[in-house]
Amino acid sequence: MRKIIYLLLFMVSAIHAQTKMTDSEALHLKEKVKSQAAKTNTIISDFVQYKHLDFLSNDIITSGKLAFKTPDLVKWEYVKPFVYSVIFKNENLYINDEGKKSDVNLSSSKLFKQLNKLIINSVKGDMFDENEFEIAYFKKETTSEVHFTPINKKISKYIKSFHIQFNTQGDVVEIKMIEPSDDYTRIVFSNRTINKPLSNAVFAY
Amino acid sequence: MRYLLISLLFLLAGCASYQDLNNFEKQEAPDEAITNPYFSDVTKDYVYKANIVFYDKSFGGLFIVKKIEENHHRIVFTTEMGAKIFDFSFHYNEFKVNYILDEMDKKILLNILEKDFRVLVREKEKAITKSIKNNSELFETKIVSKNYYYLFNEGVLDKIIRANNGKEKVLFLFSKISDTTAKNIQILHKNIKLTINLKSIN
Repeated sequence: MRKIIYLLLFMVSAIHAQTKMTDSEALHLKEKVKSQAAKTNTIISDFVQYKHLDFLSNDIITSGKLAFKTPDLVKWEYVKPFVYSVIFKNENLYINDEGKKSDVNLSSSKLFKQLNKLIINSVKGDMFDENEFEIAYFKKETTSEVHFTPINKKISKYIKSFHIQFNTQGDVVEIKMIEPSDDYTRIVFSNRTINKPLSNAVFAY
Repeated sequence: MRYLLISLLFLLAGCASYQDLNNFEKQEAPDEAITNPYFSDVTKDYVYKANIVFYDKSFGGLFIVKKIEENHHRIVFTTEMGAKIFDFSFHYNEFKVNYILDEMDKKILLNILEKDFRVLVREKEKAITKSIKNNSELFETKIVSKNYYYLFNEGVLDKIIRANNGKEKVLFLFSKISDTTAKNIQILHKNIKLTINLKSIN
């Protein structure tokens, strides 16, 4: 019986192969990410998105490219299995849905503006605002993971928590947005290039 | 007098059944069930790129259907980026809203979506009448007190029509059919400006 309990305990800890950081480790990571974010003027990256819904047999996989330019230009472009892009620009969303164009103005909705800001900040990983989030720091095998849990009830109604994984340089390698129902969207970045000159034409609508 | 005759004719036409108006010939009362095979496989995740046009507004997203077990389906609509817009369950005639975005939580809209999606995922229904024309078969049935007509061409379901007094109200069009999957589905409302276009992506 005792053996089974040990085995179970071992399995639980094996599944959660992450340990809490000490305060100084957490501070060190936070400083590294913030300084990396401050130095970042542009980001170009590929991404794979995994939409997890508990009742599905498989996650829904879509993939594409991300482009970011300071202070707040983001282009999120899906290439597979459909062509769709959304540009975040001047409190507007510019959508190109397989050639069909539309735009959404966010300025009238405080909530949408906040969510918009969150998306832009999460791309850089710089969400270390203790007035907005409860923040928890973890060490994983080769990466660090930070859990940002929104304090604002209006936000937490949509997103229970953001889990962001950083590599040793302090760059974002993965974002997981967990919904109140525990379904989630996981975005894994690859071929991430920082500070390569990026023309504004990339964000033209 | 002539006016009266014309009105009478209109009235009569108004009462004519959908089959008669479309020159289908009624057969003996059928004992077979109508089968909609398009969401019938529990092992499959059905994922469609969706475009919903409601009056002058157009929304895109992913439309996801899963058969959980017999007579039990889950339908979820998310944005392309994965944010949930609505999440419904259909269990026999029961309809449950697991989640809906506040902005869309309107009774009128929910009623429309409930009716449309119930028919979309309904697998077997008892036919009330059967009529034929050339290679087409038309089955009439009732789903939660509304009249529906299922049109099969050479044995393949390619249209479901909700009609009232012979008049088309909602059309469900299935195309690019391979085996038991409809790659393209269109739900077309005739009395309100609502169209739902679905294109399979898996």
